[in-house]
Amino acid sequence: MVLALKDISVAYSDGQVAVANASMELAPGDKLLLCGAAGGGKSTLLNVAAGVVPRLVRPHRFSGSVLFDGAPIASLPKDALFARIGMVMQNVEEQLWDLGVEDLIAFPLENRGMARADIRERLQTMLGTLELDALRGRRVLSLSGGERRMVAIAAALAATPELLILDEPTTGLDPAARERLVRILKTVAGDGPALLVAEQDPGALESVTRSVRFLHSGRLSEPMEMAAAFGQQTPWLDAGILPPVRKPAYLKRVAPGDELLGVSGLRTVLTRQDGSPVLRDVSLTIRAGEIVALIGRNGTGKTTLVQSILGMAKAAAGTIRIRGGDATGWTVARRARSIAYLPQNMRRILFNMTVLEEVLFAITAGGAAGPDEKARAVEALAQYGLETLSEANPFGLSARQQALLGLACAHAAQAPVSILDEPLLARDVQGRQMLDRFLENAIAGGRAVLLISHDLDLVEEVASRMLILDRGEVVFDGSTGEGWSSAAFASLGWPRPPVLMEKAA
Amino acid sequence: MKRLEEVNFFVKLAAAFAVTLAAWLAPDWRFGVPLALLAVLFLKLAQVPGVRAYVKGATLLVLLVMASWIVNLLVQGLALTEAVPVATGMAARLVTTTAAFFFIMETSSPGSILAAASAARLPPAVTLVLSLTFGLIPMLREEFERIADAQRARGMEIDNVPFPVRLRFALARGVPLLVQAVRMAHAISLSLSIYGFDMSRKRTTWRSVGLMVEPRLTAEKEPR
Repeated sequence: MVLALKDISVAYSDGQVAVANASMELAPGDKLLLCGAAGGGKSTLLNVAAGVVPRLVRPHRFSGSVLFDGAPIASLPKDALFARIGMVMQNVEEQLWDLGVEDLIAFPLENRGMARADIRERLQTMLGTLELDALRGRRVLSLSGGERRMVAIAAALAATPELLILDEPTTGLDPAARERLVRILKTVAGDGPALLVAEQDPGALESVTRSVRFLHSGRLSEPMEMAAAFGQQTPWLDAGILPPVRKPAYLKRVAPGDELLGVSGLRTVLTRQDGSPVLRDVSLTIRAGEIVALIGRNGTGKTTLVQSILGMAKAAAGTIRIRGGDATGWTVARRARSIAYLPQNMRRILFNMTVLEEVLFAITAGGAAGPDEKARAVEALAQYGLETLSEANPFGLSARQQALLGLACAHAAQAPVSILDEPLLARDVQGRQMLDRFLENAIAGGRAVLLISHDLDLVEEVASRMLILDRGEVVFDGSTGEGWSSAAFASLGWPRPPVLMEKAA
Repeated sequence: MKRLEEVNFFVKLAAAFAVTLAAWLAPDWRFGVPLALLAVLFLKLAQVPGVRAYVKGATLLVLLVMASWIVNLLVQGLALTEAVPVATGMAARLVTTTAAFFFIMETSSPGSILAAASAARLPPAVTLVLSLTFGLIPMLREEFERIADAQRARGMEIDNVPFPVRLRFALARGVPLLVQAVRMAHAISLSLSIYGFDMSRKRTTWRSVGLMVEPRLTAEKEPR
């Protein structure tokens, strides 16, 4: 066996059990998918399998045994162990720092003293195979979320590991990048390393993995054949995640009202490596009661568009209108009081010392908070299941809890427009309920939401209108249904959302 | 600017030490001040990022040094006409020194420092300390700016307010910055472990390193 876990239990504090008595084995060439809701213990179990827990990250309590290639993992020198295990974490920022793309991919090889010519040859192979040529010479921290993940995957594969561990590898990847990842895992991983992958979107990796185990509230199920589990509903729902094959569940839609946000002829100062502006000529309108989806390839400028709307990225031309008023000369803060922005990585906008203070800040924008504001903040936290965490430090929350905190902040602020950038909650049953609650509240209150997402099922189910951003312009603006059959969508080369197939069936 | 980023880190470090040495060996303010002005002018002409912020910081530094040295020298019995030139000379030395090391920090990425140190076959501990010392400060500054952007993006008016209020808001960023610095240190430590960084083994580098450091790997097939 490459890996054998026996009776693993992990707790990060008293009463907070992440994994309970989990046992599993992985033979050479095995491809196992680990599925479960966010916060169910997947990342902890993967970190145990990789030797990160308890060796590099010490939990409050740890018990059980981990054997790697027949030897206790604790007995292997750190260097030798991580030369044989490649890992990409769920929050890929945890393992990145300000290196260049080539530096990061070559980092494990350089650290092992590999000869320069061999490293360069390996780099050429990895950049070519993972189709990362366009990123040569870029700094990792300047890349989009999806691009960063692909570079981290390249770094994990560069050292030809015996065990490859990927935690939510498709997060932030556009559908084409997901297909590329699957292709790579099929060829590079092939019959070589054992693969252990945790994912909330099982459909993306169905063809790569052979079996699936479910992890729910720290408990690990027996393995099931992937082919047998894929079409079923119960095992996925029991584990707290949306089944990969399901009928669409549409959000109630309302007739659009007045314009809340308008962008005309926006061109950015920020340019691409070839000197062309990231956004060339963007125009769009978002009206009250609308949920508008913005889709486009990784690195196409979706986040830059949001930053331009908020005034954080300089515009060379164009106008921004907020509730009918020309907001072009407004400060970022003034615009932000009308637009609640929730990035994919919520850590980027958190800075208060408690969860309650974050929500109060959303209401008062740093001003004094009275009893009314406090009551509103507490009510918002309760809406999203965070009432017991009001005094917790926001940086100590899980990614899922931070995403919920973002919803609570936007809910409390009652901003006319909310921008949700790739919400991490869409594939987990409870998270999706919270997201739906937020969206329903917004449109019922005459507000609007701009949803940026690569989750096409989510777009189909909740968005009434779709914008496709490509080569710095909005190349499609119309109803979601028309969007899937548009030439602009076809040019992306993406598959249509899986729920549409089920709807047709 | 791009070409300056590609200059070997140790060449830049040697140049910075030479300029600093010249500043401290300058006999008085008549040599020191022109050298300091030349150093700042060089930053401006080389289009080093963040020069405006540097000039603001350097101005504050000059005022503080001048004030504290003049008071100190007056207390020691020197006349004002004697104290001012001495304080000016000291401020000029500090401006030249900080400008030289600001230039290194702004034009050296952690990757290029790692490459230069690895090519020089320095011990891994030295390599790490150098790249973290010179690489982390810009990262922390960017983090400071990110927190300010987060405050703006959540509706906090920190630009169109009086200077004392702006200063108070800037100081309030200290605590989240500290939290982020700890997280950053943790991320780097984890990254070093899982990518096999070992203090007992000298690193190699993929880059060609000479007086210049190769910035990117070209796609052409290379002879072995």
